Amino acid sequence: MSPSSNKSPVRFVKETVQEVRMVARGWRWGRRPLVPRSAEPFQPAKQPTVFPTAWARTPIANAVRDVVQRVGLGPLLRSTVTPQVAGLDVLTKVKGPVLFVANHTSHLDTPLILCSLPDEWRRRTAVAAAADYFFDTWWRASGSAMVFNTFPIERRGGTLSATPGDLLDEGWSVVVFPEGTRSVDGWVSRFRMGAAWLAVEHNVPVIPIGIRGSYAAMPRGRGWPRPGRLPVRVRFGEPIWPAEGEAPRAFAPKIRDGVARLLDEDATTWWDATRRAVRGDTPDPTGEPVASWRRIWAQTAPPVEGRRRGAWK
Amino acid sequence: MSRPGFVLEVDDRTPPLIVHEGEGFRLEKFPTGTRVVYSPESLPGLRDVDGAIRQALDNPENSEPLRALLRPGMKLTIAFDDVSLPLPPMRRPDIRQRIIEQVLTMAAEAGVDDVQIIAALALHRRMMPSELQHALGERVYRSFAPDGLLYNHDAEDPDNLAFIGTTDQGEEVEINKRAAESDLLVYVNINIVPMDGGHKSVPIGLASYRSLRHHHNSHTMVHSRSFMDHTKSAMHHSAWRMGRLLKDHVKIFTVETTLNNNVFPAPYEFLNKREWEWSVRDQASMLAARRGLAIAPSKLKRRIFQNVQAPYGITGVHAGETEAVHEKTLANVFRQQAVEVQGQSDVLIMGVPYLGPYNVNAVMNPILATCMGLGYFFNSYRGQPLVRKGGAVILYHPVPYEFSQLHHPSYVDFFEEVLAESTDPATIEERFEKQYATDPWYIHLYRTSYAYHGVHPFYMWYWAAHAMDHVGDVVWVGADRRAVQRMGFRAASTLADALEMVSGTVGRSPSITYTHNPPHLVADVR
Repeated sequence: MSPSSNKSPVRFVKETVQEVRMVARGWRWGRRPLVPRSAEPFQPAKQPTVFPTAWARTPIANAVRDVVQRVGLGPLLRSTVTPQVAGLDVLTKVKGPVLFVANHTSHLDTPLILCSLPDEWRRRTAVAAAADYFFDTWWRASGSAMVFNTFPIERRGGTLSATPGDLLDEGWSVVVFPEGTRSVDGWVSRFRMGAAWLAVEHNVPVIPIGIRGSYAAMPRGRGWPRPGRLPVRVRFGEPIWPAEGEAPRAFAPKIRDGVARLLDEDATTWWDATRRAVRGDTPDPTGEPVASWRRIWAQTAPPVEGRRRGAWK
Repeated sequence: MSRPGFVLEVDDRTPPLIVHEGEGFRLEKFPTGTRVVYSPESLPGLRDVDGAIRQALDNPENSEPLRALLRPGMKLTIAFDDVSLPLPPMRRPDIRQRIIEQVLTMAAEAGVDDVQIIAALALHRRMMPSELQHALGERVYRSFAPDGLLYNHDAEDPDNLAFIGTTDQGEEVEINKRAAESDLLVYVNINIVPMDGGHKSVPIGLASYRSLRHHHNSHTMVHSRSFMDHTKSAMHHSAWRMGRLLKDHVKIFTVETTLNNNVFPAPYEFLNKREWEWSVRDQASMLAARRGLAIAPSKLKRRIFQNVQAPYGITGVHAGETEAVHEKTLANVFRQQAVEVQGQSDVLIMGVPYLGPYNVNAVMNPILATCMGLGYFFNSYRGQPLVRKGGAVILYHPVPYEFSQLHHPSYVDFFEEVLAESTDPATIEERFEKQYATDPWYIHLYRTSYAYHGVHPFYMWYWAAHAMDHVGDVVWVGADRRAVQRMGFRAASTLADALEMVSGTVGRSPSITYTHNPPHLVADVR
């Protein structure tokens, strides 16, 4: 190669474009940066920063969010998946604030819950979101606080953010995913104590929610739902109240059982699920300890509604 | 808190990684599974450096305080490491200046009049006045240089060399006469790699060819495994024997210092960071630097790189008896540079940067590039080499067919005449070394100009002797084919080509290790 061609402006521009592309790909511009797996143990712990979200619950922000959710989020959700909601009548039996507690398999879960709620409930519901995931950059934090009314919750530290309790006290219902993160294979994993502690501490009922099909529609790693408007089922359950003087540790299993029973009910019938629950035979929502692919295989099938029975056999 | 060094395993999440190659760097996408050795993050520097120096001089290891050693009428000589350290040069004030100023203050308070300051450069080129001023500061330079009391050691001045004696292994010890005849010799060192310091300072820095040839030869270098580990280095064993002999004749007060890994100043800080942690600003700086270097004329590029001055922090200052001091110094060096690596690999990849100890303010010629890659970087291990016996080494450097006529005149002849005959270090040593070492023109240039000694290119070649003996294949990526061919190596355009070329030695799916150096690191290979 002659030296003159090395300095050719065309070549320079071409190489510049190539390098910018390489950096854009290598450093995942526009996407969440990733740390090589072997480097993860050496990452410095992120300094917890409290991102203020009170502005997202001012009357103006509430009004804007109401429009965004009704005109933008709802239609968008219904155009990409087919939500099927059941059990909403439980909300007639309680008054807010409540804790909505659901299993968590997909980024679809939050918009699904919000868009399933009646308007008067939706307008007074906030969502606990992982501080290290949704609040790591100002634009992601502002966006999620604006659209979903999220507030940051520390899932790695031992201390629980003070905000969810404050919100409950102020009359806001709060959506909590006690697993702390999206399931890797669609099955339910361990529930943390935060939700139980909140319910006991602030004496609010827990409304369990069972979500099926969101893993099949948009599992971890996908940025958009799979094509085909796959069905996703959201089932609300009976409110669970903490008993007088009940410890969070004793109350937590009841929440998990409530969600497990809803998942069973959605796959079968209310009557069958109730009888199984009485017998203590509710299927374990963590699934069978079989090969990983079989677990994923089972969860990636679109959910089938519980057995339909004709009125006339 | 600085994070320790670690070994990255390249996976699908790993961005392209920086590889230094002369006056530039590239982004390389390594094959999945490649191990990349990262040095520990830069340790915090001492907050009160002057206080640490004072503390070291007043409370030395195995020695009386410096003040107690100073008395009126005595002969005091201060020797210091030359321009080959540190790399890149340190941002002012240089640590040598800070130490020597304190030593001189104490000497003045004690009423010492007879003081001389010597750059301990052995067979390196003389330091220029500007370099002396940079290393020692304007005050020291103005007080001593005009009277000829601050000068470069001359290893070819028979009138100013003193023969001390012979070690039990028959090694002749001959050093600078003024230093040998002083009541006290204070040696001020910068220990940037574990090879430096200890008895390598006085017995080598102030020695003559007669003395140096006992350890600077192909035999000791092949048996120094590695020369970064003085306990297993034949070169250091020889220097230690000489040092122990010397200490019976001269009172030596050693001051050793260690630096952290803060090598690259703004706007090149991204070169100090782990790539996946680059901010948008770092990415932009890198792109700007890459694209700027792509169009910069080579003279400008050289000036940009040679003007880099590192904002080093000082991690330790120790003074006193040489061996006791060196033990503490090494602990500091390894704290900053040691990384544990499990096992050897088939291929070792290294990026050779623009600067080595012997091309400060000059181009890195092919022999120095080899010395840097197969000498310094290859030997940056303890235990066993990072690459298995008979494995392959892939180096990145343009290896320009270019020599500094001012600094490296004998290198040109070595490259053209000696390497044309043989590239085997032992053969070269036997057939050519004496001729170059005694050549009157090279000696003249060494003594009066700024040239490395005639024998110096031989030493550079011996520096790589262990690697040449150990590995089966050496391929340079992006190098001048003519230059590397003369040295008995091969050139490739890309990493993929280089791996293809070494597949005959290491197979189609070799294990690969890349040492992400600089910042400096020493691999503890288990």
